[in-house]
Amino acid sequence: MHFVLVGLSHKTAPVVVRERLTFPADAQERSLATLTGIEEIREAVILSTCNRTEVYAVASDTDIGVDSVTGFLADHCDADRHELARYLYIETGEAVVRHLFRVVASLDSMVVGEAQILGQAKTAYEHALGAGATARVLNKLFRQSFEVGKRVRTETAIGESAVSISYAAVELAKKVFDTLDGRTVLVLGAGEMSELTVRHLVSNGVIGVLVANRTFERAQDMAARFCGTAVPFERFYDSVHDADIVISSTAATEHVITKAALAPSAKHRAQPLFLIDIAVPRDIDPAVNDLPNVFLYDIDDLSGVVEANLEERMAEARRAEAIIDEEMAAFFTWVESMEVVPTVTAIRAKAEVIRKMELEKALKKLDLTDKERKTVEALTCAIVNKMLHGPTARLKKVSSDKDGYMYVEAARMLYGLEDSEDKHGPGAFRNLLNLRAREIVEKQKETGEGIGDCGA
Amino acid sequence: MLEVAFVAFWLAMAFYVAATVLYGYQVVTRRAVLSWYATFATGAGFLLHTASIGLRSSATDGTELTGANVLVLMAWALVLVYFLVEHLMKVKTYGALLVPAALVMMLIAQVLGVSRGVLADMTPEQAVLLDNWRVGIHVALISFANAGYAIAAAASLMYVLMERQLKARKATKLFSRLPSLAQTERVAWRSVLWAFPLYSAGLILGVLRAIETDVSLWWADIRVLLSGLVWLVFAAYLVLRWRHGWQGRRGAYLLLAGFVLVVALAVVARTIPAGFHVFGL
Repeated sequence: MHFVLVGLSHKTAPVVVRERLTFPADAQERSLATLTGIEEIREAVILSTCNRTEVYAVASDTDIGVDSVTGFLADHCDADRHELARYLYIETGEAVVRHLFRVVASLDSMVVGEAQILGQAKTAYEHALGAGATARVLNKLFRQSFEVGKRVRTETAIGESAVSISYAAVELAKKVFDTLDGRTVLVLGAGEMSELTVRHLVSNGVIGVLVANRTFERAQDMAARFCGTAVPFERFYDSVHDADIVISSTAATEHVITKAALAPSAKHRAQPLFLIDIAVPRDIDPAVNDLPNVFLYDIDDLSGVVEANLEERMAEARRAEAIIDEEMAAFFTWVESMEVVPTVTAIRAKAEVIRKMELEKALKKLDLTDKERKTVEALTCAIVNKMLHGPTARLKKVSSDKDGYMYVEAARMLYGLEDSEDKHGPGAFRNLLNLRAREIVEKQKETGEGIGDCGA
Repeated sequence: MLEVAFVAFWLAMAFYVAATVLYGYQVVTRRAVLSWYATFATGAGFLLHTASIGLRSSATDGTELTGANVLVLMAWALVLVYFLVEHLMKVKTYGALLVPAALVMMLIAQVLGVSRGVLADMTPEQAVLLDNWRVGIHVALISFANAGYAIAAAASLMYVLMERQLKARKATKLFSRLPSLAQTERVAWRSVLWAFPLYSAGLILGVLRAIETDVSLWWADIRVLLSGLVWLVFAAYLVLRWRHGWQGRRGAYLLLAGFVLVVALAVVARTIPAGFHVFGL
């Protein structure tokens, strides 16, 4: 089996190209059928989001697989394949697995650490699974990638800090108030940015929205969108007393809120007051921050918070890479077990262990000369070799077929090559045999000789 | 049995060391998975701590209320109260401050000599003073109240640090690791709310016992005067917070000052051998 990935993302293609190469959910089944209809493509998953379109495939041959998928993508968007190739990246083998793990862990996202991609990858896999486009290999790969995504989110702090101005404002408000449930926000200036921030605050529990704007109708419009109340701009100081958070983004050229004007209100407050000034030039006198229990952040302060959070995410991303390395090793141990040569070697090693054990038991009961002993040994070797020759030869032959690894898997199951989860009773004996067989294989690797005394 | 108590005591300290490292590491790395191990280490340490106190008490026919033993009891009360706070308020950051505080108290107790039979060194008057059920309750109430004050002080310290970070408008690593202002303020307020009545009841029992045994000039003892001052500071906090809106920085500083007095009282109680309130140093 050969892993192949062909795709494009925000890093390699502009939106004008990305928007042409999308696979909407309702069209995926047909696209997957086309893809897996290609002789060399055994399994496929299409991951299509606003920032990336990627085709993950298991092919019988790497070059043909890459060529087939590239052709499929060019046909899908009706583009010249050479023109499209400028925007595509191609990965094969181990790099495909690393790429998928990095994508699902959100290390390859536009905003590192964003949480959406894990859900999008799950949806893409479910579509492929539903369409019958995946089998053993991609099932294992994608399920393990979800584990990677989960581990990275729980074992690192990659997604914890806000990385946009409006979310940074919410995060800071939570550092002051703990929870925003039941809080009230006063908005000065019904602009787009302030509306976005209010939207985030409301989705985090803020229930009271007061809007003051020089044009009262605009204040009313915005207040209506949040089930809030419009207040006359001239009287907004009265509303400051009722608010926990103030967002200011007016077009005023002078300070709208001054220290002197706010001081009496601040003095009698039991609760803190959090002021967010996203206007340029600034609406709020910076000296307001000196008042007790009043916290003022302007647009530069919020940008500073975002930058610091991004740096922290990058540090966490390095820890995430270490998790990916661990999971890669686990995945390729599994992949190796699905290869035919190690499987045949393991079958022969196990047979050799059994042959030796049974021979030893029998020889203890018999009183044989050296010549007789050698004859019996040769007999056991011949039986084992003849019993295994047919199945292993056929296994090697069918392994290159489209569903060859299913035979490999079946052989591993029938010969009991995977360790039993049952650590007692028959399971323990199987594990012991496998352990001895692995020792034989290791020895064989070291010495370069054939397995056991039978020279198989 | 004393040997077993001794081993349990040191094992408890070992678990508290492990918990301190884990809580610290959890705060630095923000890896939630570590918090379970930290709580487990604290819990295991607490059980051994409890066993050590119980075994020593059985071996010596009751816990001797010496300076060192009282410190061990206070450390025990602090861990117990911290567990309650962690469970009720679902916060773990305090463990990074309070578990090491309990550990330090146990270490000091060890230096002072937990197992020294200091009661034998007491005057007959002091022995009579201690020979009453009220004294045991007095010590228990003061221990739990001090644990509450310690938690309030830890929360206030975090409040002050967080407030400075917010005022400085810089997102440092400390900023993202500290709890919110509202939460620290709430923890401090609630801790004092239940610690203060315990402290008051503890003081009343102590005063009753002193009057009962006819100790002359009991009120002039430096420990009594200091404990009165502690009571006044926390009473002032409650009144100012409740009636005059002393939330925030002022309240936090007042609580920190109150806790400094609690520590000063604990140091004085174990270092100045003057007055009637001396029951072994």
